Amino acid sequence: MNFTITRQNLHSGLASVSASIPSKTTLPVLSNILFQAENGSVWMSGTDLDVAVRIKVPADVRQEGSLTAPGKKLQDITKELPDQPVELATMGSQLELKSGRGHFKLNGLPADEFPTLPEVDFDEGWRVTGTDVNRLIHHTSFAVSNEESRPILNGVLWELRDGAMRMVATNGHRLARMGVPAESGDTSSADFIVPPSALQQVQRLFKKDEVLEVARSGNHLGFRAGAAEVYTRLIEGTYPNYDQVIPRDNDKVATVDKKALESAVRRMAVVASDQTHRIRLKFESGRLHLNVLTPDLGEGQDELEVGYEGEEIEIGFNANYLLEVLRYMPTDEVDIAFKAPERAVTIVPSEAENLDYLCLVMPLRLLD
Amino acid sequence: MTRRIHVLTDVVANQIAAGEVVERPASVVKELVENSLDARASRVEVALMRGGKGGIRVSDDGIGMGREDALLSLDRHATSKISSSSDLSDIRTFGFRGEALPSIAAVSRLNLDTREADQGVGTRVVVNGGLIGTIEDSPRQRGTTVEVRNLFFNAPARAKFLKPVSVEARTVSDALTGLALANPRVSFMLTSGDRRLLDLPAVDDAAARVSQVWGPEQGGALILVSTEDTGLELKGLIQRPDAAKPGLGRRYLFVNGRPFKAQKLVQAAERGYRTTIPQGARPWMFFYLQVAPGVVDVNVHPTKAEVRFSEASHIEDLFESAVRSALADQMSSATLDRELAAPRLLVHESGEQFKVRGADTDAQMALFIADAEVGDAAEGQPVTELAASRPNLWQVLNTYILAETRDGILIVDQHSAHERVLFQRLMEAFEAGGQDGQRLLFPLTIRLTPPELELVEELQGLLDRSGFEVEPFGGDTVIVRAVPNPHPYFNAERAFREMIEELTQGSELVRSAKNQHEKIAMTFACKGSIKAGQQLADAEMQELFDQLFSTDLPHHDVHGRPTIIRLSATELARKFGR
Repeated sequence: MNFTITRQNLHSGLASVSASIPSKTTLPVLSNILFQAENGSVWMSGTDLDVAVRIKVPADVRQEGSLTAPGKKLQDITKELPDQPVELATMGSQLELKSGRGHFKLNGLPADEFPTLPEVDFDEGWRVTGTDVNRLIHHTSFAVSNEESRPILNGVLWELRDGAMRMVATNGHRLARMGVPAESGDTSSADFIVPPSALQQVQRLFKKDEVLEVARSGNHLGFRAGAAEVYTRLIEGTYPNYDQVIPRDNDKVATVDKKALESAVRRMAVVASDQTHRIRLKFESGRLHLNVLTPDLGEGQDELEVGYEGEEIEIGFNANYLLEVLRYMPTDEVDIAFKAPERAVTIVPSEAENLDYLCLVMPLRLLD
Repeated sequence: MTRRIHVLTDVVANQIAAGEVVERPASVVKELVENSLDARASRVEVALMRGGKGGIRVSDDGIGMGREDALLSLDRHATSKISSSSDLSDIRTFGFRGEALPSIAAVSRLNLDTREADQGVGTRVVVNGGLIGTIEDSPRQRGTTVEVRNLFFNAPARAKFLKPVSVEARTVSDALTGLALANPRVSFMLTSGDRRLLDLPAVDDAAARVSQVWGPEQGGALILVSTEDTGLELKGLIQRPDAAKPGLGRRYLFVNGRPFKAQKLVQAAERGYRTTIPQGARPWMFFYLQVAPGVVDVNVHPTKAEVRFSEASHIEDLFESAVRSALADQMSSATLDRELAAPRLLVHESGEQFKVRGADTDAQMALFIADAEVGDAAEGQPVTELAASRPNLWQVLNTYILAETRDGILIVDQHSAHERVLFQRLMEAFEAGGQDGQRLLFPLTIRLTPPELELVEELQGLLDRSGFEVEPFGGDTVIVRAVPNPHPYFNAERAFREMIEELTQGSELVRSAKNQHEKIAMTFACKGSIKAGQQLADAEMQELFDQLFSTDLPHHDVHGRPTIIRLSATELARKFGR
């Protein structure tokens, strides 16, 4: 392998790939980036075994071939190189790097030690816009579970249907669901449960105006647009029937200024227990009364004017769950709908019928 | 008509009194050594022949007696220590009934050698079965020697009950050890025949005395207890929980320098240890109680082994809370250090004038508050504060958290630490009504065995108050609609299953609980806390650290194991040979 590449191309390629390299690993080859030089371009790949990123950058290839080399070291050197062409070549098991009078040799590992990336046939897949996918990821992936007992909930459910797609995430305490219309005429419908780390790479690497090709191969999903590819392992299993637990009969609705509520909840959270983060929201006619009381710490109260005409009701919440949900609400006002203190509460953007976005928060039981 | 009722002769009266005071050589030694201590001796030597059955010699370098006093001291109820009945409520000396010496003299052959410092010549009195024989000049130096031979020669019934030599010698040694612990600044020596049983040169504090008696590793395993209340001061040395073992626990109590027994107070102190030691461990404890006159009634039994307090339950509470707060201290945590400096505990000794703050002092308030006693300041222990308010924390093996302190490092077991946090939280929540439950979007359905089902039904109220909202779901199944949410990695289903299993099957932990609330709180803490092997983010470690140190007993988990192990800079330096 022997090629010359601009410093800029090398730098941006390494930056794109290195985010997929695990910071700690017991498998040394995973700290390396795989270089594959072929016919006018170089592929750079990195993976943590769950998610892989592959980037193609233009280069003047004199001799085809492949090698892996330490990603972090290469990135650190490249960052400090002057802006002039860089020559990379294999010297046995070492990667030799020359730039001007600078000359480095880094110990590498043979390319065949690098994990094989899944082979995905992008012709047999779906096409979605970067804008849509990024929006869905942004508004739902925060709600995935970090707790490992139900691996299914550690992923985002992605439903692809004819004419629409949807993402859903939940940890069993709160849930986020968003849908967008999609180009019709694509192949059959499909459900994927995608690790959020893969979705992060998708968000990072693909521009909004790009059209993404998405395809599945066995237990893997591939994303491709332009010179970048992302591959991920899918989480296996059946996602719980989330639709069934979203209440349809929440007949009490309060319309609340999002910023004012966020700020008030944040103030309350200061005095909330650091374990349960419990605060109380009492909806009264025209008013929302917030209060918090934590033994050993103190108490707080506040009030907001809200659009509400129903009967008085008090609900306990984990303040963090409320704040997360509010952060992603795209409108200035939100509609909070509820029925009883122990039932699921739904929050949707106000006056945005064309926006299919719903968050759900399960209350805390209030013991008095 | 013959008279049937006689006034007893002194000799007979003394023999009867001897029955109460003098039971065996140990009681003779105790009475004589207490007299020595009352005479402000700085050195007391006790020699036994045949375990004291053959002879006992107690000599001291105290103030001694003049000839008249020496004779008077052998008279029953003659005492230098009180003169009117009102003095009885203000007793600071060991002996006061005036019974000891005449009682001993009544049942033995006794030689008393004594000399006051300012007298040219000493006095020797020889007494035989209570009858004073010869009185002559003695060449003795300042101080007093009492030699008791042929104990119970004239009371064969009592002599019969004496135990073998080795047993009697050991009882003497135990009694003298108690007095030595109460008076560390006095040197004590005990010989039995040719054998030296105790050799305790004067030291300046009580922990040093413990080290002398049982070895420096025992002294190093002690921590200080200290508390005050109106008319009362309690200091003590108790064993670090990690050093407490089952078996023979050394428990010594002293009130105003006087050894006494009070099982209730020992039990109160043991209550203070609750949850910090495993079931069955018997921690050592040495308590030095100073009370203002009037608070304590020592005139209960001639041997004064038991003492009556006017506010018994209050004093028990004080013992419990004092132990509790000592165990809250950094110094109570387990340590990797091999050579530990014993703490320093200066004790008030017998005969010393004692003032307790707040006791019957004049109403005039002082303009300036006096500094703490110099003695207290000298008792300072090394400060093991954390090096910074936000120390660097390192997680190792995904199980332990390392933190730097001013004088070393702390190793925290993340699971144990979180157990302590959850236990205290839930116990406090029970008092306040209950713990919040997070309603579940997808309720858990859990199958149980018949005994488990029965238990869940029985405990439903308490489970509810711990955050688990459980309902029967028909057959052997329950549905859990809400669960506590103690940390982001909490696996509610597994924790619930394991809790119910442990509560049904029982365990050492469950048995150590004092009531149902504790049972639930302990099992919840054990099953619901962050597990070993769980990787934690910096912020999570920090939060756990803060939570741990906001509990009452951060150094001990609920199984009676340590949550924290210290390693001092001194020990590191020693290991590296610096």
